[in-house]
Amino acid sequence: MLRQPLTRALKLSSPARAAPLAARTFAAQPPAPEKFEVFIDDKPVQVEPGTTILQAAALVGVEIPRFCYHERLAVAGNCRMCLVEIEKSPKPAAACAMPVMKGMRVKTNSDLTKKAREGVMEFLLVNHPLDCPICDQGGECDLQDQSMAFGSDRSRFTDIHFSGKRAVEDKDVGPLIKTIMTRCIHCTRCIRFASEVAGVDDFGTTGRGTDMQVGTYVEKMFLSELSGNIIDLCPVGALTSKPYSFAARPWETRRIDSVDVLDPLGSNIVVATRTNEVLRILPRTNEEINEEWLSDKSRFACDGLKRQRLVTPMMKDSRGNLTPVEWEDAMVAAARALQDCPPGKLLAVAGDLADAESLVALKDLVNRLGSENTCTEQYFPLEGAGIDLRSSYLCNTKIANVEESDFVLLIGANTRFEAPLLNARIRKAYIHKDTDVAFIGPKVDLTYDYTHVGDSASILKDLASGTSSHEVMKRLESAKRPVVILGADQLKTPEGAAILAYTQELALRLQDKLEDKSWKVLNVLQRTASQVAALDIGYKPGVGPVLQDGPKVVYLLGADSGVVSRDQLPKDAVVIYQGHHGDVGAAMADIVLPGAAYTEKRATYVNAEGRAQQTLAAVSPPGKARDDWKIIRALSEIVGERLPYDSLDEVRDRLSQISPALVTYGNVEDNNYFAQARALAQSLQKPVSGKVDVQLKQLEDFFMTDTISRASPTMAKCVQAVLKQKQSKY
Amino acid sequence: MSLGKILALDKLTNFFNALRQNGGIKGSLYKLYRQDELKDGKLVGEDKYGNKYYENARYFYGRNRWVEYNDKVYLNYDGSQVPAEWFGWLHYKTDLPPHQDPSRPKYKWMADFTENMSGTTGQYVPYSTTRSKVEPWVPKKAA
Amino acid sequence: MFQVISRAASLSKTPLSRSLPAFSTSVRLDSRDPSRLREAPMIDSEVAISTPDELRQRNLLESTIKVPVKVDLSPVSGVPAEHICSRRVRIYQPPKNAMQSGTNNIQHWEMEFDNRQRWENPLMGWTSTGDPLSNMKVQFKCPEEAIELCEKNGWNWYLDVPKVKKQFKPKNYGVNFSWNRRTRVSTK
Repeated sequence: MLRQPLTRALKLSSPARAAPLAARTFAAQPPAPEKFEVFIDDKPVQVEPGTTILQAAALVGVEIPRFCYHERLAVAGNCRMCLVEIEKSPKPAAACAMPVMKGMRVKTNSDLTKKAREGVMEFLLVNHPLDCPICDQGGECDLQDQSMAFGSDRSRFTDIHFSGKRAVEDKDVGPLIKTIMTRCIHCTRCIRFASEVAGVDDFGTTGRGTDMQVGTYVEKMFLSELSGNIIDLCPVGALTSKPYSFAARPWETRRIDSVDVLDPLGSNIVVATRTNEVLRILPRTNEEINEEWLSDKSRFACDGLKRQRLVTPMMKDSRGNLTPVEWEDAMVAAARALQDCPPGKLLAVAGDLADAESLVALKDLVNRLGSENTCTEQYFPLEGAGIDLRSSYLCNTKIANVEESDFVLLIGANTRFEAPLLNARIRKAYIHKDTDVAFIGPKVDLTYDYTHVGDSASILKDLASGTSSHEVMKRLESAKRPVVILGADQLKTPEGAAILAYTQELALRLQDKLEDKSWKVLNVLQRTASQVAALDIGYKPGVGPVLQDGPKVVYLLGADSGVVSRDQLPKDAVVIYQGHHGDVGAAMADIVLPGAAYTEKRATYVNAEGRAQQTLAAVSPPGKARDDWKIIRALSEIVGERLPYDSLDEVRDRLSQISPALVTYGNVEDNNYFAQARALAQSLQKPVSGKVDVQLKQLEDFFMTDTISRASPTMAKCVQAVLKQKQSKY
Repeated sequence: MSLGKILALDKLTNFFNALRQNGGIKGSLYKLYRQDELKDGKLVGEDKYGNKYYENARYFYGRNRWVEYNDKVYLNYDGSQVPAEWFGWLHYKTDLPPHQDPSRPKYKWMADFTENMSGTTGQYVPYSTTRSKVEPWVPKKAA
Repeated sequence: MFQVISRAASLSKTPLSRSLPAFSTSVRLDSRDPSRLREAPMIDSEVAISTPDELRQRNLLESTIKVPVKVDLSPVSGVPAEHICSRRVRIYQPPKNAMQSGTNNIQHWEMEFDNRQRWENPLMGWTSTGDPLSNMKVQFKCPEEAIELCEKNGWNWYLDVPKVKKQFKPKNYGVNFSWNRRTRVSTK
C-alpha cells in the first residue's frame, strides 16, 4: 500500500532529504512522433502514439463520462465509468488508461458501452446515499449528472433489510474541508492531488472491497496551502467546503469572473454571489497562471470581505475618536488638509491591494499638488537600474514556462507560501520533467526535495562570480533552461541592492550561454498584487527616506502593513486613510475614506509576471463606500486640481499613456534590456555577509498576510487548526 | 294625528330638545363643528374610554344608534376607538348593551382594548430580523 | 482627447478585439488568422497570364464601390440612452465550473452587461435590482455574432478570450509504476 521507490524511501530516512545531484543531461526535445489515425464514433482523428482513447475522443469533441480521470492528475483507472467498446475487442476497455492503436475503431455510444456504463453506475449507486436534497454538491455533482445521463431508470437494490447500505465514519481534515465519507465513490482524485500537486502524502485508502475507505490513516489535518482544490476535484459530495456548507445552491448564485489579489500571481477566479454577498470563490481555468487550482487563502478568505469593513467616512472628533460623518464633511476636511500642506511634505503610500486606476489617480493628484512623494510599502533597491527597467522587478520566465525548466534556483523565496501556484508549477516540473531545485535561505518545506545550498548571502556572490565549488554551480552551468527566482523580501535589507546585483549577474551569465535565446532566467517574485502596477506607474518603492523628512499629510491608499506608524510622524501630521478594511492604517488615521474591495470594483491589477488583468464588480461596495479612483477624482475636484478623467475608460486611457502594458488585459509582454540592467548593477556587487531569511516559514504564517485575510474568521480558524495539529503526535 | 304633527311643530320640539340636550346654543354649535350633526337621544351607556352611546328610535334604522367620542380626542376621533363590546351594540349585532348583558364573558386575562395606531407615532413599523451582511469596523475609543 | 483615443486604439492588436473605449483581453481570433489557411488559392488562368498593368486595369473595371453601411438600432430600439452609453458588454466564453467535469454547456460565447447594484428586498428577502439588463445573457455560436449585435445596438463591447489552450501531452498509465521516475505513485 505504501509503496515507494527505493531511492525515495532511503532519502526520507536520511535527515537531509537531499535531492540527487548527479549531473543529468538535458533530454533534447525528441522529434514529434508520427501521428496515426484512429476513429472515435467513426470520426477520424490524427493522434500521437501513446494517446489514450479518452484524450483522442476529447480531440474530436466526444466527451466520455468519467469519475476518477482528471487531466491534471495521474491516470488511476479505477472508477470504470469510461468503459468504451472497441471494435474487434471482446470486452469493453477503460478509455482513460487504454492507449490508442493504429486504425482502432472506438464506439462511445454503442449498446455495449451504454450497458457497461449503466452497470458501473448501478454499482456506484448501491453504496451511495440518496443525500442529494441535503448535499452541498447537489446541482453541481458529477455523479448526479451522470446518473441522469447514463444510469438506469430503476433500482434493483433490495438489500436494505439484510446488510443495509454501506456507511463510513466522517474524517476530520481541518477547518476548510467537510467530509461526508459515506458519499465517497473511491475515485482517489483527492489522494492523487494530495500526493502529486500538493505534495502532502497524507491521504490514502485502507481496506478493500466494501470496506475500502479513503482517509488520512490517523486523524490529521490536511496540512496544505492548496487543500481547497480537493473540494473541486471531488466528483461527489464527499468533500465539501466547510465555510460554504449549506449556504447556497449553485443555481441560485451569480458567477462573476474576476481576478484574485491576495497573492502576487493574480489567479483567475469565479466569484459566486447572491443578494449582494460574496458566498464563495472558485478557480477559473487559466493555463498561463493558475491552471485550475487556487490557493486556500484566495479561496477561503472571502468571508473577510464581510467583516471589519469601512462602510462610512469617518473623522476624528475633538476627543480623538473616529466618528462616522457624511462624505461631504470628510472630503472637505481631507481637501483642506491637502491644500494646507506644503508641497514637499505630502506623502502618499500605496498598500498591498491597491488597483492601478486608483494608483494612477493618486499619483496624478499628488503630483499636481507639487509633491513627488508617492511610495509603495514594499522596498526595492533604487541603485543601479532600479525600477527603470521592467525586467528587473518581474518574473521574466513567466509562470507557465517554469514547468519547462530543468533547474530552479530559489533565493530567499519560499514560493510555497508566497506564491503557492508557482510552487505547484515547480513541483509539476519536479515530478514530470525531473527538474531539480536548489534553495538558498532557511530550511523550509517546499513539498518537494531540494538541495539546500545554505542560508548565507555570500553563497549567492560565489555563484554569481562563478567561483563557487558547490555542485549547484555545475548544475546551473549545464542546465538548458535554468530558472532563478529571487524573493522580493531579500531586497529590504541594506544588502538588498547587492543581492539583486548578484542575482542579475548570475541569471544573465546563465542566460547568455543558453542555446534557447528566448528563455529568460531572471525572476524577482514580488510579494503583493499591487507592487508591479505601482512600480510601472512610477511609485517609489519604500517610504524610508520620505518619512525622515517629517511629512505633514500622509495619504494611505490601503497601506496596512505597518511600515508607516504614528510615532514615525510629526505630532501635527494629518493621516488620511482610504481603503476597505479597518486595520493598522485606519486605526491611525484622522480621516477615513471607505473604498471598495477587489470583488466590488472593476479594476486593473498587474501580477508578478507583468500581466495586467481586470477584476469585475461582483457585488456593490457596502454602505457608503465607493470606487477608489472615484474618491480620489472627487477629492481632486474639491482640492481645486481637477483630474482630467471622468470615466473608467478615461482613467484607462491615462494608464495606457503611462504604459500600454497596463491595459492589454490578459497578455504579458516580453521584457528586454537585461544586459543594460546587468551593466548598471556591476558597481553594486559589494561583499555581502548577511543571512537570507524568508518571512513565511510555516503553514500558519501563510493564512493571514493582508487586510482581507486578517479579517477572515476562516483564516483565523486555519491558523489555530494548524497550530493544534503541530501539538499532535502525528 | 295631532295638530302639532300636521303643522310640523314636533320637528320644532325635536330641534329644541336636541338643542337643550347638547348644552344650549354654544354647546350645540361646538357639537356641530365637531361631529357635523346634532341629534337628540337617550344615553344608553358610557365605556371606560369616555365614549358615550346614544339611541333614539325616531331616527331611521342604521342611524338610530351612535357614539359621541370622548371630548379629549377632539377632532381625532376614529371608528377604531369604539371598544369591541360596544361595537356589537353599535352595529346591531345585539340589542343588549355590554353592561346589561349577563352572558358576556369577563376574564382577567382578556387584553385591554387598543385603538388602531396607524398613521400616528405609535404605529407598528416592520423591521428586518436578518443580520446585516457586512460587519462594519468599529474604531477603538481613545483612552 | 482625440489623441488619447487614437493612442488607445493603436494599442489593441486587431480591430476585432474591442470597440472603443473598452479594452479587451484577446490578441486575435484564430478563425481570422490567414496563416491557418492550408490550401493555395485557385487562380484563374486568364489572370495568371496577364501582366500587372492589365490586371490592375481589369480590377478597376470589375470592382464596385462598396459603401459601408453601419446599422445602428439604438435610436429606434427604445432602450434608454443611459443603458446604451454607460454600459459595457463583455463577450466571453463561459468558464468551466471547477466543481464539475462536464464541458457540454460551455462551448458557446456569451455576452453580459456590467454588474450593477443589487439589494435585498426588505419584505421578502428576495434580491432586487434596478438594472433591466442584468439578466440579459445572450448566447452565440461565435464572438463575431455577439460583436455584430453589440455594434447594432451601440453598446461598448470588449472581448474576453479565456486562456484555456494547453499543450497536448499523452497520458500514460504506466508512469505510475515506473521505477526510476518521480511520477511513481507512493500512495493508493
